[in-house]
Amino acid sequence: MMIGFINAFAEMFSFENVRWDDVLTATYETLYMTVISTVFTFIFGLVLGIILFLSSKSEHAASSPVYGVTAFLVNLFRAIPFIILIILLIPFTKVVMGTIMGSQGALPALIIGASPFYARLVEIGLKEIDKGVIEAAESMGAGTWTIIRKVLLPESLPALISGITVTAIMLVGSTAIAGVIGAGGLGNLAYMVGFTRNQSDVTLVATVVILVIVFIIQIIGDLTAKAVDKR
Amino acid sequence: MIDIRNATKIFKTKNNDIQAVDDVTLHIRQGEIFGVIGYSGAGKSTLIRMLNGLEQPSSGEVVIGADVISTMNRTKLRKKRQKVSMIFQHFNLLWSRTVAENISFPLEIAGVPKKDQKRRVAELIELVGLTGREDNYPSQLSGGQKQRVGIARALSNEPEVLLCDEATSALDPETTDEVLDLLVRIRDEMDLTIVLITHEMHVIRKICDRAAVMEGGRVVETGPVLKLFQNPEHGVTKRFVKDDINDEETALSFEEVREMFPTSKILKLGFVGSQSKAPIVSQVIKKYNLDLNILSGNIKRTNNESYGHLYVAIDINETDLGNLERELAEHDVTVEVEG
Repeated sequence: MMIGFINAFAEMFSFENVRWDDVLTATYETLYMTVISTVFTFIFGLVLGIILFLSSKSEHAASSPVYGVTAFLVNLFRAIPFIILIILLIPFTKVVMGTIMGSQGALPALIIGASPFYARLVEIGLKEIDKGVIEAAESMGAGTWTIIRKVLLPESLPALISGITVTAIMLVGSTAIAGVIGAGGLGNLAYMVGFTRNQSDVTLVATVVILVIVFIIQIIGDLTAKAVDKR
Repeated sequence: MIDIRNATKIFKTKNNDIQAVDDVTLHIRQGEIFGVIGYSGAGKSTLIRMLNGLEQPSSGEVVIGADVISTMNRTKLRKKRQKVSMIFQHFNLLWSRTVAENISFPLEIAGVPKKDQKRRVAELIELVGLTGREDNYPSQLSGGQKQRVGIARALSNEPEVLLCDEATSALDPETTDEVLDLLVRIRDEMDLTIVLITHEMHVIRKICDRAAVMEGGRVVETGPVLKLFQNPEHGVTKRFVKDDINDEETALSFEEVREMFPTSKILKLGFVGSQSKAPIVSQVIKKYNLDLNILSGNIKRTNNESYGHLYVAIDINETDLGNLERELAEHDVTVEVEG
């Protein structure tokens, strides 16, 4: 038993099955999916989060249905497990992307899965802005658009940045799940090669590369959030 | 300049309606510093928010200059707000902007060209005494400095009216006085009309020309500040005045004083009005060749006059006392014999 364990361990660190050009391609695919989906999630999540924030605080009667519908959609898509969301979105993905395979095919599910999550983080970040500052801008004659651009976004920037950092890291994980069902990337490599061919050294390499990507995202996010925070 | 006519504000909540402002009518003149004082929940905050349309009255009218604030459409109201600016208890500066950027914020909203913004910001920084602090962030400033930024920001579009929402309540007494002095100075220099709300009587006393006292959403008393101090009519006003006078330890044990000065009479001299600047007491005691011991005193300056009282122990006969009373009365100083 002990010998079996040592053998497995030795194989894991032998790297004899690792084809480094495959690792490079997979890393590129993971980065591609993560970056593109993070960019779009940032945009959609920001818009949704601002809608949630504005419609929840406004006293206009018309805005509460807006809040109701947006909040419902956000909660709905957040509740669907990601692996099911990918399958559920196949017809939609086919129309939008022209394919359901590869990194391209994974993007709609990644973005639609993460945007509601980020929208909630944006809403929380905006709620933390001092109400008095918004009132001050109103008292200067600022309209809603000016308040969004010059008060809400800059005053919540650290929260927006740390929120997108968390979301991007979550997306790295999601790309790995998407990889298992054919999206490519490091998840695909770990599953198709590492698991099905029982080459645990490949799995280890895929894991380490993903960890490095996650750490880099976290460090960039933390440093940026700190740099913009003048409080 | 500002007319509030029968303004009422009712907040509807699930359980009951709250009448924050109840049939308030006020007229505020061009160029005056008008104070509204009341305890928290008196409705003064809602009232001042009606002046720039942050709250709309449930009924009644709010007029500033030629504009009816309470019925303006949103676009016109936003334009008007550039001329009716506001400063706040907690300053409400944008932490993400430097001092200079905070001050130029209203100018950006008003669409002032960048070049003019720069010039105006430089003027304002000089005016409020923050030279050298342009590139600091609010977190690097003290409370008093933050409020100076707030004031500069409020003045950037050259407003007609400045609304002060408990502007000194978060500041220590010394800083409060500096900020109040600044408000008086800008009123004089810029021909501004200032409306301030506060729960501190010394703010009213120090800079206001006239004031209104609020309780339960109603204005219970209005008048020139000195009149409110001399002759407070409503219970709330009396409480504010009393709190202001008694804010220092003036409790006096007449028994102890009588033991110390067994032959003396204890007099309470009351000062009301501008005469108390002159050395009246000193002149009168010299004239009658009297000696007096000052036991305790509390004289306060309002915007332009003084009031207060002075307890003295004095060796005096009945004739001289009569003369003294008469003479002091001519200078608006009242005399009461204690005990």
